[in-house]
Amino acid sequence: MATPVIAANAYAQLARIGDPASGGLAKTIGDAPDGATGPSFGDVLKNALVSVEEAGRKSDAQSQGLAAGKASLIDVATAISETETAVQALVAVRDRVITAYQQILQMPI
Amino acid sequence: MDFSKSMAIAASGLHAQVGRMRVISENIANSDSTAQTPGGDPYRRRIPTFVAQLDRSLDAQVVALGPIRTDPTEFPVKHEPGHPAADAAGNVKLSNVNALVEMTDLRDAQRSYEANLNVIGATRRMIARTLDILRG
Repeated sequence: MATPVIAANAYAQLARIGDPASGGLAKTIGDAPDGATGPSFGDVLKNALVSVEEAGRKSDAQSQGLAAGKASLIDVATAISETETAVQALVAVRDRVITAYQQILQMPI
Repeated sequence: MDFSKSMAIAASGLHAQVGRMRVISENIANSDSTAQTPGGDPYRRRIPTFVAQLDRSLDAQVVALGPIRTDPTEFPVKHEPGHPAADAAGNVKLSNVNALVEMTDLRDAQRSYEANLNVIGATRRMIARTLDILRG
């Protein structure tokens, strides 16, 4: 019967993931694993958040300019629309990740 | 991203058409403006021009309002000796603005503006449909 061995290996791996000494869960999600090329998901998410924040700031500045009578309506409308798109994209990715995570949580062990 | 580029290009079209509207409204508002001095020239019709410009940050050709030219056509003359702007013969030069032409230009500007708005709308719909792939 190989089942106990497989179970023991799975537990050992889980313990490694949860072990703070080896970086823990944050390491597996937040940073690129050793030897991996390209940005990690955490980096991608961070960059997306920064760009959304930047777009939000830009549209805020434009709205204030409009209120002060300095910015043009066209610039404000396009800036806000760009922010809206960025937020929608980020929310869609977040929802997708949460769905994937929930599917992992519901996986029978 | 190309989506935001096409939106910015369409926005440049909106800006240009707004500038054109400003010139047209100047023409319509000044269609009755005459000279301040006797025998002088009245308001001369202004014509907006458009130029294609390379936007370096977008790496694309955007449109901008070029130099505003004046219409060289003759001023219509009306005989009205009592008018303050009348010359020695009693003739008053009137502005060379034709209300019908201005109204046609106005409609043209309006349609061009709507065309650019449609580009923005179509781009937004494309973005939304693309995001729908993610939502599944």
